[in-house]
Amino acid sequence: MRAERRGSTAALFGSELLTLFRRRRTVALLAALALIPVLIGVAIRLAGDAGSGRGPAFLDQITNNGLFVGVTAIIVAIPLFLPLTIGVVAGDTIAGEASHGTLRYLLIAPAGRLRLLAVKYLSAGVFCLAASLTVVVVGTLVGWALFPIGPVTLLSGSTVSVGEGLLRLLGIAAYVCVSLLGLSAIGLFLSTLTTVPVGAMAATAILAVVAQIIGALPQLDWLHPWLFSEHWLGFADLLRDPVQWASFADNALLQAGYILVFGALACGRFLTKDILS
Amino acid sequence: MRDQSSRTQNSTASRTFSRWIPAIVAPIVIGVGVILVPMQATAAVDLPDKTPAELVQFAAESPAQPLSGTIEQRSELGLPDLSGLTGALGGAGGDGSSAPAAASSADLEQLLSLALGSHTARVYLDGPNARLQVLDPLAERNVYRNADGVWIYDSAEKAATHITVDQAAVEALKAELQTGHADAGAGAEMPTPEAMLDQALARLDESTAVTVGTDALVAGRAAYELVLTPRDSGTLVGQISVAIDGQTGTALAASVTARGADTPAFSIAFTDVTFAAPDPAVFAFTPPAGTAVTEKPIPVPTAAELQQAKAEAGSGDAGSVDSAAKPVLHGTGWTTVVELPAGALGAPASGPLDTVTQPVDGGRVLTTSLVTVLFTSDGRAFAGAVDVATLQAAASAPAASSGR
Amino acid sequence: MTGFAIETAGLSKRFRAQMAVDGIDLAVPSGSVFGFLGPNGSGKTTTIRMLLGLVAASSGSARVLGTDMPRGVGSVLPRVGALVEGPAFLPFLSGAANLRRFDAADRSAGGRSRPARVADALDRVGLSHAADKKVHAYSLGMKQRLGLANALLVPRDLLVLDEPTNGLDPQGTREVRNLIRSLAGDGTTVFVSSHLLAEVEQICTHVGVMRAGRLVTQGTLDDFRSTGAVSVRLQTPDVADARAVLARLGLTVDAPAGTPARAGGPADATRLVTARLDATPPEAVVAALVAAGVRVRGFEAAHASLEQRFVELTGEGFDVVQ
Ligand SMILES: Nc1ncnc2c1ncn2[C@@H]1O[C@H](COP(=O)(O)OP(=O)(O)OP(=O)(O)O)[C@@H](O)[C@H]1O
Ligand SMILES: [Mg+2]
Repeated sequence: MRAERRGSTAALFGSELLTLFRRRRTVALLAALALIPVLIGVAIRLAGDAGSGRGPAFLDQITNNGLFVGVTAIIVAIPLFLPLTIGVVAGDTIAGEASHGTLRYLLIAPAGRLRLLAVKYLSAGVFCLAASLTVVVVGTLVGWALFPIGPVTLLSGSTVSVGEGLLRLLGIAAYVCVSLLGLSAIGLFLSTLTTVPVGAMAATAILAVVAQIIGALPQLDWLHPWLFSEHWLGFADLLRDPVQWASFADNALLQAGYILVFGALACGRFLTKDILS
Repeated sequence: MRDQSSRTQNSTASRTFSRWIPAIVAPIVIGVGVILVPMQATAAVDLPDKTPAELVQFAAESPAQPLSGTIEQRSELGLPDLSGLTGALGGAGGDGSSAPAAASSADLEQLLSLALGSHTARVYLDGPNARLQVLDPLAERNVYRNADGVWIYDSAEKAATHITVDQAAVEALKAELQTGHADAGAGAEMPTPEAMLDQALARLDESTAVTVGTDALVAGRAAYELVLTPRDSGTLVGQISVAIDGQTGTALAASVTARGADTPAFSIAFTDVTFAAPDPAVFAFTPPAGTAVTEKPIPVPTAAELQQAKAEAGSGDAGSVDSAAKPVLHGTGWTTVVELPAGALGAPASGPLDTVTQPVDGGRVLTTSLVTVLFTSDGRAFAGAVDVATLQAAASAPAASSGR
Repeated sequence: MTGFAIETAGLSKRFRAQMAVDGIDLAVPSGSVFGFLGPNGSGKTTTIRMLLGLVAASSGSARVLGTDMPRGVGSVLPRVGALVEGPAFLPFLSGAANLRRFDAADRSAGGRSRPARVADALDRVGLSHAADKKVHAYSLGMKQRLGLANALLVPRDLLVLDEPTNGLDPQGTREVRNLIRSLAGDGTTVFVSSHLLAEVEQICTHVGVMRAGRLVTQGTLDDFRSTGAVSVRLQTPDVADARAVLARLGLTVDAPAGTPARAGGPADATRLVTARLDATPPEAVVAALVAAGVRVRGFEAAHASLEQRFVELTGEGFDVVQ
């Protein structure tokens, strides 16, 4: 009985993932993200080195080493594009089903409210991973195709092999994925508040921008450690020698806090909500 | 039936409430965690009592430990943007736009921001090897010290500076000094370290109250607190506090608080520390390809040069050309004012310097919470941990002008 | 199964100031086909939402298949197929994919037999050919059929169908009618809300009528109809004589004058006279009419139509109450 239950939750999760990734909108979001490293790679290939000190960090390294296309693309994508796509997916989780009216049919199937919420959040998490991997992997492929690939110079000035460089890129993708989980939890909660998915999506994306604006204001620095965007650029710690795992751990802890609080809020709201759509 | 309906109503309400419980509990748990963890960190610790003298001796005598740790440096000096200032000073110091001048300006800026800025850094120490790894956002500054000399590497600039000291010359100098001054050394009675310390403390006591504060946890370790309070109320410095590890005698934290302020204007502290030899690989540095490397050998003076310099300093030869650029000290202790004669800084830099200073009687002044700098109209500069009035007094004092 | 498939006690739902459902005591016998009637906005869908645990009752309680709702949602709903306020699907998925999704949401439905179940359900509603078509390309009736297929994915003990024939073609309507009959024949309880009284009359064994959030009546269909008065419909050219005879017998004659069966006809054209038959047996009326020489061309004594009963109970006004 237990095994059967667990099996079916996996089935629901699988069906949710299938629904998410077969959807044209999801594919378009990922394609838009993939466009970032492509544009960066092509622009640098055509226009040549921008010269050090201009543009995002690592931009000037690309001509020497194509592996930095992915890193540069992440830096470009993290303030706006990634939160935007996460906002779309996380804001749509419950509100999208409600607006289609399918929420009531999922619940009388019965999917179970808590189970549905968990599956929805997990699939948003998978999207976070897919989004960050898309940027990093496409960036690496573009860099590989357009530029020489070689041992990677780290921020500390030491150099690691291509293999380790690739591993660190995967680490960055994992870091960025973790960074976005808190925002996903916020999106999930906002999604339980409304039956208009665009509202939840916009609210999530706006919150991401607001958090970063607050993060840039020194007058509010007492608030900074509490912002989910506080460690977003901390993935650079994976490019140091030795690797500074402390920021990875701090970030994970912070995001876990957000997941806990907003997950609990989403539960409270969704488990008591009247489904009237 | 009325009964049943009211009962179900109650149970519905309580179920509704119970589903909000996690949402109420989660922030409380996190809040309690956030309050409790630092409380644990500041939990009362009790180390065996030491007098200030014992504590200073303990710290001084403890051998340097191999360690690795994270330090946080926080600076609220109220300094304006340093880049403009150092650019102005560096540019003024050199003769225009020559390459060495630009390099030294960059170096000065780098060192100033390393020393006075706010940042988080990793520190590795193992015998003669040391490394300071400043974790900047998306960049990194490193100072490596190893058998190869000292390397300063800035990932943002992609520039490395290699500072080398001719080891052979140093050895030669040492040998020469030993032979040359063997007689001089033999004549003087060698004081014991204790005696020297006592003497130093006694001298310190004239200007400063040295006390042992409350023991505290720093970076998770029980530490003594040594508190230095200037007796002279003329200084801007209110208090200096140093945390000394109760086990190894290593300084774990230091902070300087301005007079009348509650929070330190400058603090540096380990947030975590491990007393174990770090992996030797962390000290190794080879400039990566594409890095601009500046070689900076430090000249080692010969014994004769050293002797001459000493003699000049001793005689206080005002006629010497060099001495015009040498700093002059006014006053003693905490209210000491350093005077840089006009030659040292060149003409008063206009432009960038003006933006960070305010005009006062007799020049322009740069104020921070701990240090004040006065640039007089005639090109001299006065600096000290004192207020503007004290600097102005020093500037107008006849002794200062007679020094020139 | 015995007893009641659905039982509510004082079930109420308040939306802000408005009582959408106001203390209803529904009793739907197991095995019945229960027609749930009521004008627009009378609270039918809201009741169904409460029964299915989608909406929390403001007060009162509901038991479905012997289990308290909404506590029993997890154990009861797998045995309940439902169509609530029209079908709803993700438009960018095919019909079959939508069904697989809802089926995967059901914990009690095993994964191995899922494709077979989905194919079966689609076949039952005649959608096999459109199974792989995206739902946004479905017509209104096709969506309705797909909604029914979803309700029929697994064998159910109770079907809750909110306006199941909405948008269906005549064949579809007849199919649904037959489907409900055959399901009811297998012992499934069907709780169906509808505005099509002719439909209800054909398939239901029981009815309940809502009006402005209150359940104004419920019972078997026969009881429902027989509680209304029997009326006679007489077709005759001798309107005045007939009215006199009927009045003499103590019947309440409708309308001041007989309605012409065919307007503008000849003087002896057949006209319709209606009257309420109270205790008088119909045969006595016919005998009296014949004895009085009234030319009886047609005579019918029947219970009031369901529609008449419905209007009687819920009022004539066209405006939505509240
Ligand atoms: N989400 C809502 N918020 C406020 N009032 C609502 C909501 N949903 C329904 N109502 C009100 O509840 C009452 C009952 O609505 P319900 O949908 O149950 O009617 P119904 O009997 O199903 O009508 P129809 O025959 O048109 O489907 C209506 O007056 C409606 O205005
Ligand atoms: Mg309805």
